[in-house]
Amino acid sequence: MSLSRRELLKMGLLAVCGTVIPLSALEILKPEAAASLIRPYSEHKRWAFVVDTTKCVGCGMCVKACKLENEIPFNIDVQRTWVERYVQLKNGDVLIDSPHGARNGYIKNDPQGKEINEAEVAKGIFVPKLCNQCEKPSCVQVCPVGATYKTSDGVVLVDKGWCIGCGYCINNCPYLARFFSPVTNTADKCTFCYHRITKGLNTACMDACAFGARKIGMLNDPNSEVAKIISTERVSVLKPEYGNEPQVFYIGLDAIVR
Amino acid sequence: MSHAWRPVFVVLAVVAAIVVMRVILVPSDFTAKDGDYKYQWHRLSAEQVSKDFTVKHRGRDFCGQCHPNHIEKMKDSGHQNIQCENCHVMYEPAKKSHPINLKEDFGYLLNIGIDRSRELCKRCHAELSYRPKTYTSSKGTEKFKQIDPTKHNPGIECAMCHDVHSAGFKTAAK
Repeated sequence: MSLSRRELLKMGLLAVCGTVIPLSALEILKPEAAASLIRPYSEHKRWAFVVDTTKCVGCGMCVKACKLENEIPFNIDVQRTWVERYVQLKNGDVLIDSPHGARNGYIKNDPQGKEINEAEVAKGIFVPKLCNQCEKPSCVQVCPVGATYKTSDGVVLVDKGWCIGCGYCINNCPYLARFFSPVTNTADKCTFCYHRITKGLNTACMDACAFGARKIGMLNDPNSEVAKIISTERVSVLKPEYGNEPQVFYIGLDAIVR
Repeated sequence: MSHAWRPVFVVLAVVAAIVVMRVILVPSDFTAKDGDYKYQWHRLSAEQVSKDFTVKHRGRDFCGQCHPNHIEKMKDSGHQNIQCENCHVMYEPAKKSHPINLKEDFGYLLNIGIDRSRELCKRCHAELSYRPKTYTSSKGTEKFKQIDPTKHNPGIECAMCHDVHSAGFKTAAK
């Protein structure tokens, strides 16, 4: 085969250009994203949650209801859902606390146990937290025995009969949503009340919230309130930098919230 | 046969032993659902266990079967969004238990009682500068009544003056 000087240069240049294009540049759209352009709501069932922090008053009724519904010992400091309080003072300090997961509510202006004069407070937010039921759960990847898994409808569950209690998943959750259950001696976490949502009920925390700060629904159902909020309002997720693709969407977060 | 085959037989025996152990130890319903070995490798029967967990909070409709008067009273009040169980479920041994044994008669597992402590009302009504000052009800956005518990009749039970079901004053209700 004979190759002219011109052809060699052309092919060489093409090869160099081809190798320097990063793989990500070829992936203009993820397949899911492309599919959503054609059909806005996919057939894939996916539970998602919306937390409106602007409505949360910090009563902690959700924490109480969750603990009783899911048989989590009430007086021990483990919880599937909890409410955090972020108070920024006028001198710039940020105080973050969640005494006993807020199971008894916030009844005083005493972040971190220190009574603070109302005049010193610049702003404050209550942030309810729960398992983010990630699309790419890092807790599931580290389980050495296959005791934690994602269901087809997107909820991450723990198989308590199979868990050996090694605690890798507890360490590996960026949201600290998992804990070691003193009752079953296994890892435990929020299940989006899987026993309730699969029967057509709402989660216990959502029912207990008198202010409508918590909402659960199907992401692919155009009639669900959750899907409407996520697609039309300004929502954000916690710690997106971890790449877990969390499915709990927040309204009204602030830079002081972690 | 050459002696060189001996280690091969040993390796084959170990592999066979591992396969046999795996068949015995790993439950048969261990599957990668949807072909997803990364996130969905689990015992399929475990999903049903999670689904079969008992529902404990039955909500307003359950209580309303015997107490329709209270449900009616709350319907248009400021407390319309609050579930009975928020205030009436006790997590410590109930001070006053329910007259009917709900566990035996209805399979209802939570402890019902009456909590008249100020601590319960303060969870929502203690004034904090960063607590939202409005809430949404069926009537639209409403003012959220909050008090300073150290100045507002300290030491007296809220229910002395306030009717908690209608969210108004007791004298006004009569």
